[in-house]
Amino acid sequence: MEANNLRNQRITAVVLFGFSVFYLISSFWYKMGTIRKPGPGLVPMTVGVILFVLTTIYLIRLFVAKPTERKEKAVSLEEEKSARRISTTIYGMLGCTVVYPFILELMKFVISTSVVAFFMLFIMKPQRPLFSLCLALAMAVGSFLIFSRFLGVALPSGFLEELLFRIGG
Amino acid sequence: MADIAHNLFGAFAVACKPLYLYYALLGAILGTIVGVLPGLGPLGAMSILFSFTLKLDAIGAMILFAGLYYGAMYGGSTTSILLNMPGEAASVVTCIDGFKMAKKGRAGAALTVSAVGSFIAGTISIIGLTIATLFLADVALRFGPPEFFAIGACGLALLVRLSGGSVLQSLIMIFLGIALSTVGVDALAGVERFTYGIRELGQGIELLPVAMGLFGIAEVMLDIEQNEPTQTVQNVKLRELLPSREEWRRSIAPMFRGSFLGFAIGLVPGPSPVISTFVSYIMEKRLSKKPEEFGQGAIEGVAGPEAANNAAVGGAYVPLFALGIPFTAPMAIVLGTLMLHGLSPGPNLIRDKPELFWVVIASMYIGNVMLLVLNLPLINVFVSILKVPKHILLPVIALICLIGVYSINASQLDLIMLALFGFIGYALRRMDFQPAPLVLALVLGPMIENYLRQSLIMTGGSVAGMILRPICLSMYIAVSLVFIVPLVWRFVRKPRRSESPGLSETGPGVQGQ
Repeated sequence: MEANNLRNQRITAVVLFGFSVFYLISSFWYKMGTIRKPGPGLVPMTVGVILFVLTTIYLIRLFVAKPTERKEKAVSLEEEKSARRISTTIYGMLGCTVVYPFILELMKFVISTSVVAFFMLFIMKPQRPLFSLCLALAMAVGSFLIFSRFLGVALPSGFLEELLFRIGG
Repeated sequence: MADIAHNLFGAFAVACKPLYLYYALLGAILGTIVGVLPGLGPLGAMSILFSFTLKLDAIGAMILFAGLYYGAMYGGSTTSILLNMPGEAASVVTCIDGFKMAKKGRAGAALTVSAVGSFIAGTISIIGLTIATLFLADVALRFGPPEFFAIGACGLALLVRLSGGSVLQSLIMIFLGIALSTVGVDALAGVERFTYGIRELGQGIELLPVAMGLFGIAEVMLDIEQNEPTQTVQNVKLRELLPSREEWRRSIAPMFRGSFLGFAIGLVPGPSPVISTFVSYIMEKRLSKKPEEFGQGAIEGVAGPEAANNAAVGGAYVPLFALGIPFTAPMAIVLGTLMLHGLSPGPNLIRDKPELFWVVIASMYIGNVMLLVLNLPLINVFVSILKVPKHILLPVIALICLIGVYSINASQLDLIMLALFGFIGYALRRMDFQPAPLVLALVLGPMIENYLRQSLIMTGGSVAGMILRPICLSMYIAVSLVFIVPLVWRFVRKPRRSESPGLSETGPGVQGQ
């Protein structure tokens, strides 16, 4: 296992272990009951113990493992740039999905969806902002018409949405 | 038998209603598109379409999903054969000989054999599904909580063995899924658990944001990471689609073998369509008189696996309809859809709502015919979808996930969950964890917990009383054997190999004998 990969695996293992400890401790808040009349805490406690054991084994395994020698490989500037761009794109897209719930009800559907769609398109291909803007607007209006008009979903609406709803017939 | 025929004819009359035909067509087309697009498998597509199905009736939703699932299996083979790029995991094996055939100028023949094989397999699996479900549902009416607990627990145990990757990682995913399923109001005691004062968590963690996050959003991230360029696509001429007489002759038996094998594997928990293709390929190679042709463009290597993956889809429906227990992640989505429509699958569903079961069966058949008729002439249209640039396609998929999740409950928490599970799914998949067992455990968790507690109350707290019932005991023994036999086999084979080292040089075929 390469050092970088091993470090990521160890971080994952620590997070999983942390979750299992938190879950196990939380499960003691609920009544266990008896084996004849099991309470709401019995299964969570059992699951918590098993999860704790499993994640501990996983954690120990990864911390005992030694990283393999990494073969020296020349990384060109282009490759480095491309790798950095990919991770920026991934975190940018994730950021958009995180932001969307918080702006949706504040900015209403069309504007918030346009903003998020624009940033997603722009992050994916930054060269054409005007094209991204037009496409984002089309996506927001199109999805509003599909979800709101055809599927009858109640989406956060303001003036713009009501106007679109009327135009849509 | 007369009853089956009567019900089936009645169901065909309903399934042929224009609206249901439209849903079957829509499902088949969407499924084929999903199958063609690498990355977004049937599971991701079903998660995304989950929100749309709320506006349909339960029958319409089931018809849409059945068409989608079958369509994805059809579509997946297209890119495997033409581009050496599997549209979804169940088509990986088809790349081996399918692409070699395409390189020899026999792409059309491979596509036709794949489509006809899929159709035959679909037909056989639908017949199998009908018979097996009716039989099993009848038996399951006599099951009590200990039996249902045994089925759920054994299903999850088998999943550990069959889902691929590390056993420890699969176990962690399963118990993580069960842990998440305990969030919300406890059905038996009415107590809120792990809600931490968040009112919306009282309903539990919804399946949709979890599935869409783990499979939809995470898939988008992984697709960005792979950074594959938009494909250049070769066209297939219609006159090239017809296989030669020799190719037909060589394909027929593998198609039937793949169908029966795929259906049987479909009954077992795990990614059955994927497993069935590998088993079918190995079986065809062993049975072939010219095994050396495998890997060089043998048509049997396309016909068998393609039939097997389609038949496995039908098989996967059996435990869901007969027992109400999903053994694969797509079936968990189907279960979630049925529950949102106020239906609980299981033996009682066929008794109380027979029209749903029969119409779904009939529409599966109609969907299969549609796929056969549509897919071959429109093959170039479907493949041209690959020309859509990724920088447009991926944001569209991410947006559909976001809006789709919001449309279910208009809940901000669901959107936060989607983003959270998108990130978790991406991180887990990068670390070689399979998220499918987590989704299945999330769905099966409450069921297993309730049956366990009911069983303990019923038997007065006797664990032996729960295990030592004929059906339960046979299930526990069978599952234990699945774990024990490979260990014993490995133990037995080791000394033999050391006694006669010459055998290993003669190849695996001899060793196996």
